[in-house]
Amino acid sequence: MDFQHLLPTPSESTDDTVMVRVSTWTPEQQIARLLSLCEAQMESALSESDVAVEALVKSFAGLIEAGQALGSLSEKTPDAGPTDLAAQLDALKKQTAAAIVAFQFYDKLTQRLGHVRYSLSALAMFVCDRTKTTEREQWKRMFATLRRLYRTEEERELFRMMVEGASAEEAREHIQQSTQTLRATSTGEIEIF
Amino acid sequence: MSGSVSQSSRVILAVDDSASMRQMVRFTLESAGYRVVQAVDGVEALDYAKNSAVDLVLTDVNMPRMDGITLVRELRGLSTYKFTPMLVLTTESGQDTKQRGKQAGATGWIVKPFSPEQLLSTIARVL
Repeated sequence: MDFQHLLPTPSESTDDTVMVRVSTWTPEQQIARLLSLCEAQMESALSESDVAVEALVKSFAGLIEAGQALGSLSEKTPDAGPTDLAAQLDALKKQTAAAIVAFQFYDKLTQRLGHVRYSLSALAMFVCDRTKTTEREQWKRMFATLRRLYRTEEERELFRMMVEGASAEEAREHIQQSTQTLRATSTGEIEIF
Repeated sequence: MSGSVSQSSRVILAVDDSASMRQMVRFTLESAGYRVVQAVDGVEALDYAKNSAVDLVLTDVNMPRMDGITLVRELRGLSTYKFTPMLVLTTESGQDTKQRGKQAGATGWIVKPFSPEQLLSTIARVL
């Protein structure tokens, strides 16, 4: 679905953006913004998973290759030195570790899509109540509820962009840039208290 | 990843509602010689911990029935777990949630995805 036509046009994004938003605020625009946000979150998550799955396939291919090499080594050269086997096993461990990291992005993907599903459900219920959709304060509460839902930095960043008025196109550019810099082997921060 | 005789007696309670994550954690820890016990949420983990001793708790945050931060707080309230290392392994990277974990008594915070090497070195550091 493309809700672009319901969003503010680029010409409205001037220095007086805040004033324009106030004067053009309508319930329909808020619906469009939220649905665009959900669409962007799903697109971001799927882009990320593509990178991870690709790495996963490569890693497992490497595991198979290393396993085959180990098998060949033991069959053809039963007296192969421990150094050869150690090198092969080391390669196997590295590939396994990479696969473990990449596989976790699947978990992250399902979590993010779960948030999107919740968002869509919440919005669907919300828009059915016309006493709420006509009140700006109720919309603020809705946004606040959804903001609390998002757990990862990627989710929060997209939410911030869209709520602050970024267009769907700007969000797509952001997703593409962040995906390009993503490494499927990237790991999270660790802090000991 | 490598195993050792001294680690074979250490029991780690891994808590996550995602089966795939539990598998990744189990695979990593068992390859290093730890014994891994799994729980699907805070309620199951707390029940296990009350009846059996564990050397370290590794828990997710967002889970049904009881979240990881509540689990840490509940365990810290038990005399047998007052000094047990408790690491949180989560996609949550916000400072607010991290602070709540710290206040509940968590030993450390690991943001997913984890690398096996880093997870093992962190566990070795706090055990």
